[in-house]
Amino acid sequence: MSQTETAPALAEGVDTPTPAVGSSTLLVRSLRLWRTRIGALLTLILVFVAFVGPLLAPHASDEFIAKPFSSGSASGTVFGTDYLGYDVLSRFLYGGRGILLTALVSTVIGVVLGVVIGLVAAYARNALDDVLMRLMDVIMAFPQIMLALVAVSLVGAKNSVIIFAIALTTAPRVARVARGAAQPVVERDFIGATEAMGMSRARILSGELLPNILGPMMVEATLRLTYSIAVIAALAFLGLAANPDAANWGIMIQKNQVALAYEPWGALLPILAIALLTMGTGLIGDGIARTAAGIDRERGEE
Amino acid sequence: MTGSGEKRWHVTEPEGGLWTPSRRGLVMGAGGVVMTAGLTACGGGSAPAPSGGDTGAAGSPKKGGNFRLGVTGGGSKDMMDGQNIVTKPDQARLVTAFETLLEFDDNYQLQTTGLAESVEADNPKQYTIKLRDGITFQNGKPLTADDVIYSLQRIGTQKNGLTGFAATATMDIKNLKKLDNLTVRLPLLSPDSTIPQTLASYTFGMVPKGYEAFKGDPSTQIGTGAYKLKSFTPGQQSVSERYDGYWRDAYFDQVTITDFSDSTAQINALKGGQIDAMTDLPANQVNAVKSSGVEALISQTGGWIPICMAIDMPPFDDPKVRQAMRLIIDRQQILDQIGSGHGQIANDLYSPFDAGYDKDLPQREQDIEQAKSLLKSAGKEGLTVDLHTTNGASGMVELASVFASQAKQAGVNITVKNDPNYYGDAYLKLAFSVDFWGTRGYLNQVQQGSLPSSPYNETHWPPKSGEGSNFGDLYKQALAETDDAKRADIQHEMQKAEYDIGGYIIPYFNSLIDGHSSKVAGLKPSKGTLNLAGFGHGFRTIWFA
Amino acid sequence: MKFLRGGGIAGFITRRVLLGLLVMFLVSVIVFVSTQLLGDPARAILGRDATPDRLAALQKQLNLDSSKVGQYFHWLGGILHGDLGTSLASSQPVTQVLGARIANSAVLVVLAAIFSVPVSIAIGSYAALRREKLFDTLSSNLMLVLAALPEFVVAVLLVILLSTNVLHLLPAISPVPPGTHAWDYPDELVMPVATLVIAVAPYVSRIMRASMIEVLESDYVEMARLKGLPERTVLIRHALPNAIGPVFQVIAINLAYLAGGVVVIESVFNYPGIGLGLVDAVTNHDIPVVQALAMLIAAVYVVLNLLADVATILVTPRLRTRL
Repeated sequence: MSQTETAPALAEGVDTPTPAVGSSTLLVRSLRLWRTRIGALLTLILVFVAFVGPLLAPHASDEFIAKPFSSGSASGTVFGTDYLGYDVLSRFLYGGRGILLTALVSTVIGVVLGVVIGLVAAYARNALDDVLMRLMDVIMAFPQIMLALVAVSLVGAKNSVIIFAIALTTAPRVARVARGAAQPVVERDFIGATEAMGMSRARILSGELLPNILGPMMVEATLRLTYSIAVIAALAFLGLAANPDAANWGIMIQKNQVALAYEPWGALLPILAIALLTMGTGLIGDGIARTAAGIDRERGEE
Repeated sequence: MTGSGEKRWHVTEPEGGLWTPSRRGLVMGAGGVVMTAGLTACGGGSAPAPSGGDTGAAGSPKKGGNFRLGVTGGGSKDMMDGQNIVTKPDQARLVTAFETLLEFDDNYQLQTTGLAESVEADNPKQYTIKLRDGITFQNGKPLTADDVIYSLQRIGTQKNGLTGFAATATMDIKNLKKLDNLTVRLPLLSPDSTIPQTLASYTFGMVPKGYEAFKGDPSTQIGTGAYKLKSFTPGQQSVSERYDGYWRDAYFDQVTITDFSDSTAQINALKGGQIDAMTDLPANQVNAVKSSGVEALISQTGGWIPICMAIDMPPFDDPKVRQAMRLIIDRQQILDQIGSGHGQIANDLYSPFDAGYDKDLPQREQDIEQAKSLLKSAGKEGLTVDLHTTNGASGMVELASVFASQAKQAGVNITVKNDPNYYGDAYLKLAFSVDFWGTRGYLNQVQQGSLPSSPYNETHWPPKSGEGSNFGDLYKQALAETDDAKRADIQHEMQKAEYDIGGYIIPYFNSLIDGHSSKVAGLKPSKGTLNLAGFGHGFRTIWFA
Repeated sequence: MKFLRGGGIAGFITRRVLLGLLVMFLVSVIVFVSTQLLGDPARAILGRDATPDRLAALQKQLNLDSSKVGQYFHWLGGILHGDLGTSLASSQPVTQVLGARIANSAVLVVLAAIFSVPVSIAIGSYAALRREKLFDTLSSNLMLVLAALPEFVVAVLLVILLSTNVLHLLPAISPVPPGTHAWDYPDELVMPVATLVIAVAPYVSRIMRASMIEVLESDYVEMARLKGLPERTVLIRHALPNAIGPVFQVIAINLAYLAGGVVVIESVFNYPGIGLGLVDAVTNHDIPVVQALAMLIAAVYVVLNLLADVATILVTPRLRTRL
């Protein structure tokens, strides 16, 4: 509803848009901050666990070990067995890949879509801008989890449906931020200059506008990835996952939480993994935002 | 049953069981032996319960209290009807207020403890029902023959859409006749030895003449049962109060039935004392809850969750493929994984409590090598097939998943399809699917699921030619057979065909596991269909200690 | 839209309301079209009992044969008159089915707002004043951790901690029996509300901190300081009003998110609100209820954003002057 006219460009949970800075500079400089480093380390560790984990698992993800919720000592495993009597550690090591891939794919689609829409709207500065942003408002009127829930219940919990629902709800939120960040750039002189040179609209958008908003977009993308993971986990928690008994962190939480009080690892490991991953991406985003703000301040002082 | 909360409960009633030898002759014997009242301790006919002198022994029942039951599987589809249910909370609500002519005891044996003092077979095509005197509905009006006729005709009228309709197929509903105020004659269209079981099914509740289902006014819900509906909000809660003129003993002042969306919330509420009992405690929680003052009531029932192969659809139109599938499954492991060991290994046959259940057929065991060679000779090596399932009853989805991983050993690649719209769209049209059933007698079950005319025939049994093609004829013979031994022989022949080339894979008979607080007394395991031992036999045989 | 520019605050509000109505109209079209995908409601209601005769009877009863366009305008007209139709699952008016649920969810969301907004504004502002100092570091990191925990994890951990296993202080579930009000059971509201506060506070405090830092570095705050105004006056009269504007947006978005996102929390606490109502309606293919809830949640989003926009303009001096 907002932003198109006077209100400052703001989107949920993201700091005020950072000014244009070269993306590689921003990344490198943000890594000077300890919080960015910790964030990167956490993220790397969990991505490693998710993608290499299956190679390290002591058992197959569907190898029956002992009765459900047996303790580690009773079942001869490190973390005991889960709700179907499978090895918790192995299920955990197998369970990250799916959720990370789904989150990653849906976020990338949503962010790309959102950035394109945001840039086109910002550059258009006319009725197209209004129409696009109204459409984004309409989609945003449906909370992410609600839309995903309805879509999954309608069509069935297929991965493609989950990805579609998350990408669709991610795009307008990204579009608003992208548009907000691009608007001041559009007003700058050099854009007018490129227009005068007869550069095509696509070239201007991708070659001139995009590089100038990469900073805020990177922050936004990490934030969106975090939300996507949370939504997928929440869907799994509500029992809506593609394969309801697959080794998957979200499903592990849902199915094993009933034993959280006495045989906790089956739920606790994936909870920790998702929390640490979320923290990691959050710290990275925070670090980039702070760095950008710092660069901005330096410039202001110049 | 396992970790996930049960989301939905679909109708599987009415149930019923065949006569067991102990009851032989009581109904079908020559000349029609009368089933007399007072066979068991809880036989009625007496005035409303005395209560003052009951405080003697510690274990004797006490009056009072609000019994709060938490039930999963409900939702806004919840309803109240003395002869119909849609969800599991509906079952609990039905038995608060409505009672049947005959009743099953905890051993799944028929008893004349219900509203009828006797149900007598005058000849194979005619029964006489004699009501107990002095029973009143909750509005004080006495129960009469007119009410029984109205009740049976209501079920037997197809457009009413009641669950018991299919079971009235043999009844000559139009010609029910009132002999006197307490006696009804029930003529049959064809001989049916399962009539008494049908009359004991809980969806054959007796309702007053002119009765209609709940449409917003609790005062319309008048039964003969112990508790009268006070308020009801579908998807959330119903409250019932004790009817003081009830013809038997009942102890609670009030019964509150609350819907739960999730079994974890149910367990938490039970542990925290916010409810007194819960349905469907996950099997893997039985030991865990014991440490926190919660008791588990484990009833071995005849309920089953089959994997169904449609015998006329590829690849299962080849009996060798069906046979291979039945050899792939590791029944004990499935019981351990999904039922945490609570249940009984099954042998691809149903109705284990039926007197005609063939216990002599060899127990089928996992045999991967033979399965592989059967598949090879059928030209189906490396078979790939979709297995459809849904969250209809707890364990259905897990069974599909676990079977799929077991099948990998035989090189069979099974993809589990969990479809929320399964029962709406695809049901009964699938080659390979999972379903669920409750306790039922063999012939009642055949009528429901294994005949061309059955409402729920997932396997498209019986075959049109060859072994098993005489299944329908055998069923008719068995229905008409009055000699138990001879009927058992016919049933064995039917089961042999199903065992050899049938479409069901039945891994185990599940237990019903319910949780209750230790202050609830009077609960005993029961073989019947309903949870919590027939919901505490209509909430009248349990009390707060 | 562009042709409607001008007119000061009144004009601004008028434009916003018109835009809101436009969005709601588009939402209604999308809701109606997409719920048609739910398939044959009669079949869905009957489920395993969908024998041909029962199916035919129900389809006739539900009047599923009129044209789609006609059905849409009939439905839209009903909404405008406050008639949301009849629930397919329970055969009761949708308003009756949802009335208590809406009230229950509103209680949760309002309580969560009452507790989380002041606390997170205070934390965010103080962290901005103490930038890079101990309080800032501690609160920022705590908020980061809390934001990282999915809300169902927070809810489950609270139950274990406060109700079932460690301490036995609070009821584990909050069922709110029909006919009673959520506020009749204050002890049952503690944990659901606490979960929501924990879910919302990190975002609000984070944006408050960022916004406050920006304002504190701005020229006019500098100016106010140079004028020799006391620091307290500078903060409360000059910095806070300007910093809080953007925060309204975030609060609005978070509250709107709560309206649709309480589903997980309601599931954990068995709390009869609109979240569980939505899950139930979707499972039962109860189209009128799904439509009503989708419209309601979208309306909440639109109205909250409208209020946030207006509040931002009214509260922020530097924006007000631009109108």
